[in-house]
Amino acid sequence: MKTLATPITRIVPLADEAPSPRRLGNVHWGPAVTALLLSLIGLATVHSASAELDVSYLPRQAVWLGLGILAMAAAFVVDYRRLIDLAPLLYVLGLVSLVLVLAVGEVRGGARSWLGLGSLGGQPSEFAKLTTALLLVRYLSRISKPYLELRQVWNAVLIAAVPMALVALQRDLGGAAMFLPITAGLLLVSGIRWRQLLVLGTLGLVLAAGMWSFGLRDYQRSRVMSFLSPEEDPLGAGYQVRQSKIAVGSGQWAGRGYGQGTQSQLRFLPERHTDFIMAVLAEEWGFLGAVAVLALYSGYFLSAASIAARGRDRTGILLVAGLQSLLAFHTVYNTAMVVGMVPITGIPLPFLSYGGSFMMACFVATGLVLNVDYRRYVNR
Amino acid sequence: MKLRQHRRTLVPRVARLHGAIQLCLLIVGAGYWLVQIAEGSAYLELAENNRLREISLEAPRGLIRDRHGRPLVENVPRYSLLIDRSRTTDIEASLAFAAEILRSTAEEQGSIEPEPVEQESTEPPSDRSRADIVAELRATLEDARKTPDFKPVLLAESLALRQVARFSVEHLEHPEFEIAVSHLRFYRHGHQTAHLLGHLGEVTDRDLSLYDGTYRAGDTIGRSGVESLYESHLRGSRGEQVVIVDSRGQISDEFRRSPAKPGADLTLTVDLTLQQEAARQLAGKVGAIVVLDPRQGEVLAMVSEPSFNPNRFARRLHPEEWRQVLNHPHHPLQNRALQNSYPPGSVFKVIMALAGLDLGLIDPQRTVSSCRGFSRLFNHTYRCWHAGGHGRVDLRQSLKRSCNVFYHQLGLEIDVDQIAVYSRLFGLGRATGIDLGGEKSGLVPDRFWSLERRGAPWYPGETISVATGQGPLLVTPMQIAVMTAAVANGGRLVVPHLVRGRGPVRVDRKPAQEISSEHLQRVREAMWSVVNEPRGTGVSARVQGLDIAGKTGTAQVIKQETRTDSEDLPPEQRDHAWFASFAPADDPRLVVVVFVEHGGAGSRAAAPLAKPIYEAFLELEASHGGPAA
Repeated sequence: MKTLATPITRIVPLADEAPSPRRLGNVHWGPAVTALLLSLIGLATVHSASAELDVSYLPRQAVWLGLGILAMAAAFVVDYRRLIDLAPLLYVLGLVSLVLVLAVGEVRGGARSWLGLGSLGGQPSEFAKLTTALLLVRYLSRISKPYLELRQVWNAVLIAAVPMALVALQRDLGGAAMFLPITAGLLLVSGIRWRQLLVLGTLGLVLAAGMWSFGLRDYQRSRVMSFLSPEEDPLGAGYQVRQSKIAVGSGQWAGRGYGQGTQSQLRFLPERHTDFIMAVLAEEWGFLGAVAVLALYSGYFLSAASIAARGRDRTGILLVAGLQSLLAFHTVYNTAMVVGMVPITGIPLPFLSYGGSFMMACFVATGLVLNVDYRRYVNR
Repeated sequence: MKLRQHRRTLVPRVARLHGAIQLCLLIVGAGYWLVQIAEGSAYLELAENNRLREISLEAPRGLIRDRHGRPLVENVPRYSLLIDRSRTTDIEASLAFAAEILRSTAEEQGSIEPEPVEQESTEPPSDRSRADIVAELRATLEDARKTPDFKPVLLAESLALRQVARFSVEHLEHPEFEIAVSHLRFYRHGHQTAHLLGHLGEVTDRDLSLYDGTYRAGDTIGRSGVESLYESHLRGSRGEQVVIVDSRGQISDEFRRSPAKPGADLTLTVDLTLQQEAARQLAGKVGAIVVLDPRQGEVLAMVSEPSFNPNRFARRLHPEEWRQVLNHPHHPLQNRALQNSYPPGSVFKVIMALAGLDLGLIDPQRTVSSCRGFSRLFNHTYRCWHAGGHGRVDLRQSLKRSCNVFYHQLGLEIDVDQIAVYSRLFGLGRATGIDLGGEKSGLVPDRFWSLERRGAPWYPGETISVATGQGPLLVTPMQIAVMTAAVANGGRLVVPHLVRGRGPVRVDRKPAQEISSEHLQRVREAMWSVVNEPRGTGVSARVQGLDIAGKTGTAQVIKQETRTDSEDLPPEQRDHAWFASFAPADDPRLVVVVFVEHGGAGSRAAAPLAKPIYEAFLELEASHGGPAA
């Protein structure tokens, strides 16, 4: 039998011979499709919101969308387990970029969060959120017990606390707060006990009280105060909430029509193309438009959740859960802030808000979710 | 299996997390329902009372005054009509209402503008029916289709005060109409000061990018004259007021305000009386008059004809009007005092005489030439203007009677390169440096110029032409004024300037160092005889009680083979007439240079125009101690 000169291992069927279930057609494309739809709505709304400004933000936002799609493809191609292996390195890179920002960053919008690299520039905090999520996933996925020990909880909190503190030092409170939902979501899914949660919560409250007294600046404190009673000082800190609510409310059922939003176009609404993009949308497209957008987000999280449910391993499930809680918190907080349900902080809306770094981060997260779904089969 | 177990514990937790997310989204959706549906109408009302309106606070342009503080320009209000389409339910009714007012006043003519300024449209207003106006307004709105409804759209410009009043009275009925006020530049003396003050024009795209952020589309910018050169001084900077207006257009609150900074005023060296007199003298002719104070170079008057009405440029020009200006055979936009150069003719003999004296070639007492009416040199006949000849002529006679033959010989002795040196000594061949744009430098030819620029050697015969102010030699009336001032003030070359305290005040003493005062005095005396002695060429400028000194010039435009009186030629072939003068001869305080393009002989066409200007000067001196006071 001289024909059997090849090693025995070659007998194992190759992917082309026995069709592997790992095919692009088997991936749940829901997150990508909803993300793209939301981004296109975002483009149109950013264009309308910047119509009264000297420059249209549309072309730049379109470029970022293109880059975002490329980043999504890149995050999809590399096996997520390989990325998890690289997590410590990426995490350190994230920390280094945060320290760099503190040292040499530019101040934009009251926060020193911008790292300029010539004409390129970005917010390393967005990158750091993703790398922190990866390291947390790596740490928590190696624990094989159904519930965590307190020590493990502390370690997880520590992993998140370091970059969070660095972002808070940049005076970017909204950005710092975004480390909480990642950590909380991952801890909940990987099994935290009520007891531990209580301890963490108490500690968090104590820290928050300390921050209120010593760590907050006046404008940050007045934002919270104005949330509690916005009508007292209509032209002061409560101004944004009030204007945003007027804009949203005047949209009523069907809205004022695209490009016809008087509030959002007449400069009443500050930050209307970034954090308050939802107010512009709600004014011009009304309640129906707002609900349609919320429904798209709901579809995004629904498809992401079904991907998590059929994930192959603990790593994949945790990765999807962590990213999902990050994007969900952004979405819920931002949309709630626009109608005055929560205090205003600089938290952008995924896929809709104008901004490059955040757009990229959202698409990378989407790519990772798809990555998990593509590689869900045990056999190759 | 480990994997299974993980899935069993993790998947329900993920599902619970996801459930929480969906619940949050639902709550947020409820929040939108509350704000948009339950309280929507309340917020809509708030929004109606919550409109920001940017009111551009235009900075008034600085005023320009003459040396005695008399205003030469003013800013008159100009009213425009705007419509806010979101405030009307029946746009057709609104347009009909507006058309009625716009038409009615066009018929009654209640224009408050100092000069009748016709409507923007091409047809005369009286021909327009109401339906026409409505159609026009509708077309304007059609163009603005892409503008959001709540942004006011410009419907009509230059409303009469009566129309403004009607719209204000009806404001409660028709809150959709708004009146905007801007300033229109009005030049009180129109074409009389046109080249001096210049005109304004709308900024072009090039201006907008050139002066990034300074201007906005629709702004005006100085296009020529003082308006252009002192643009940054006169302009000021725009302010902005942002107010909150309610649904009736009433301002309920001020949101933000940055005040406008008005432009600074300018006081010119010009004396309006002399300027107007000069303009009157030149009216209907083609040419320029420059009146200068020879002591410091202050420009007292500067006129160029034909002129234009600068008030027309303050608005958008009709293409038809613009074509008229551009295709005018005499180019009214050109300032002939600076922006074109001409042969000086016999006026140049002043420099020739000074050169001859300085080089020792002329002995004022003894050098005499015999004029038979022509010179025969290089096998060519060079004519003197006096056919019968001047007979025996000395220096004084040569200037007084403007004998060419005397200077033909002198020119050959001095040589063209020396002539050029003396010409440049008196400021010819380079810009005078006046604070106005577009100045020509003229041309002082010499052998180097001939080879380098013309590519041909200098012909000796040309020297003879140059000696009588002909040939390639070219000067501007302003250069002749500066030259005359230097002769008058004892050899100090001034830089003419228009703006007091800001213009260039510089004096070049070189001519005084090179030329002895004795020679200057001799030439001044000869120039006095030109005006004050019988048979002088400038006697028509003579004024009783004022010692005027001057020199006439008649520059040939075509080469004449036969002797023809210039006034018999078609206008465009007639000679240029010059008269350069100063007074009083012993203490010069005024230089008057008259240039009439194709006017004929200087003695007849130019010198008489100077006379009324000197008379006006005498009157001024008598009333308040002269224009310089």
